Amino acid sequence: MFNEKTMELLVSSFPKILEFGLKVTLPLAATAFVLSTILGVLVAMVQYAKTPILSQFCRFYIWIIRGTPLLVQLMVAFYGLPLLGIHSNPFVMAVIVFTINEGAYSAETMRAAMEAVPAGQLEAGYCVGMNYMQIMWHIILPQAFRTAFPSLFNALISMVKDTSLASSITVVEMFTRTKQIAGQSYNYFPLYIEVAFIYLIFCTVLTFLQKKGEEFLGSYGIRK
Amino acid sequence: MALLEVNNIHKSFGGNNVLKGVSLKVEKGDVISVLGPSGSGKTTLLRCINFLEKADGGELVFEDKKYDLSRMSRASIAEIRMHTGFVFQNYNLFANKTAIQNVTLGLTSARRVAKDKAAKKAMGVLKKVGMGDYADYYPSQLSGGQQQRVAIARALATDPKIIYFDEPTSALDPQLTAEVLEVMRNLAREGMTMIVVTHEISFAREVSTKVMFMADGVVVEEGPAAEFFENPQMERTKEFLRLTGK
Ligand SMILES: Nc1ncnc2c1ncn2[C@@H]1O[C@H](COP(=O)(O)OP(=O)(O)OP(=O)(O)O)[C@@H](O)[C@H]1O
Ligand SMILES: [Mg+2]
Repeated sequence: MFNEKTMELLVSSFPKILEFGLKVTLPLAATAFVLSTILGVLVAMVQYAKTPILSQFCRFYIWIIRGTPLLVQLMVAFYGLPLLGIHSNPFVMAVIVFTINEGAYSAETMRAAMEAVPAGQLEAGYCVGMNYMQIMWHIILPQAFRTAFPSLFNALISMVKDTSLASSITVVEMFTRTKQIAGQSYNYFPLYIEVAFIYLIFCTVLTFLQKKGEEFLGSYGIRK
Repeated sequence: MALLEVNNIHKSFGGNNVLKGVSLKVEKGDVISVLGPSGSGKTTLLRCINFLEKADGGELVFEDKKYDLSRMSRASIAEIRMHTGFVFQNYNLFANKTAIQNVTLGLTSARRVAKDKAAKKAMGVLKKVGMGDYADYYPSQLSGGQQQRVAIARALATDPKIIYFDEPTSALDPQLTAEVLEVMRNLAREGMTMIVVTHEISFAREVSTKVMFMADGVVVEEGPAAEFFENPQMERTKEFLRLTGK
């Protein structure tokens, strides 16, 4: 099966597939990850502070998003937003849906991490005269982010792979591109192995970055 | 004129009446030791005075300004806290900050003091508590006694008019306890006003100007330290002093 012709196909298609990985898959995942982390932190802060009404609104958001499949959310956005008069290109739409989807999960990760910070940290902040937002910024969020970082990064790794779902709303990303090339050559199996291999490389690099990130965030001397 | 006065403070948790009308008066330069059996409400008293817990009733007079403890505005709480320090039983140092950052944060963030000025001030107080060489250590890299001394430096840095201590040495072994008590003794000598909840009878006897003995949410007996220890009046006090070995 891995005859010469197949080998040639693999070699010639590699840069074509990789190009879409670097130009579409990774940017989609990275942008959505950054935005979803910001969204998640904001939602977590509202919940942590038990802000009335807003906090219920956030619970509702999390309930809806976690209770429905990502694929369905993509479809709803793709067919629903134009009905509301919102037209945007599929990539932007995918970024938005991935952000909103991942934001619900990272909000829960961050909320749990914030609640794991001992109450004494907040009290000590008050006692030196800091106000709530100063304590959040200097004490609670940095500690919570350190705790949440591995889980958040885990989510990023998942998201890199889930971006293939964006093909359902016509985004040509790495996997879709692979399907196109495979369709032209009628040689599916080797190309799917090839794209699997590229996903694996991406995720290996990310795992390495996670380790570096954890080192950078430090453990406040705890494991030194 | 007293620096701080607390009148008839009440606090209950659910149906549990923890403070049943406690009053106290602190003059500038006073070191008041608060003694009492476990569960008598000592911690709750300090926490209510610094608004970590909301009192059900009572009056607070701080520098001639009167406040209703059950109806404190956020602004008055912030205002009073600018002039008070608090030292916790379990230190509560900011885990993500080094010793010196722990000390400067109250200056740079809460009081908008310039960074270099805050660093200078912080180094000064760290040296004062004997922690000058540990400025860049994280709390997790310090012993309990060292952490507590940094916590005292943190409280000192903001030039408080009064510092509240809640059993600052009860989590420490005897040697580390001695380190921390030495720092507190020096503060007392310099005239720092302090309220100290403690089980260290000898410290209370030597250092404090006044002693207050609490049980079941009320003040059983109070008075100048010498008088309190040499000539306790109430049966409850005598028993407590006997049990704690003098
Ligand atoms: N947050 C809380 N919720 C409910 N009950 C509380 C709370 N804090 C304190 N209590 C109760 O209030 C009472 C007094 O507690 P407090 O901590 O003030 O005692 P204490 O005199 O400081 O004792 P110790 O010497 O053991 O530190 C106890 O019965 C305790 O269970
Ligand atoms: Mg206590």
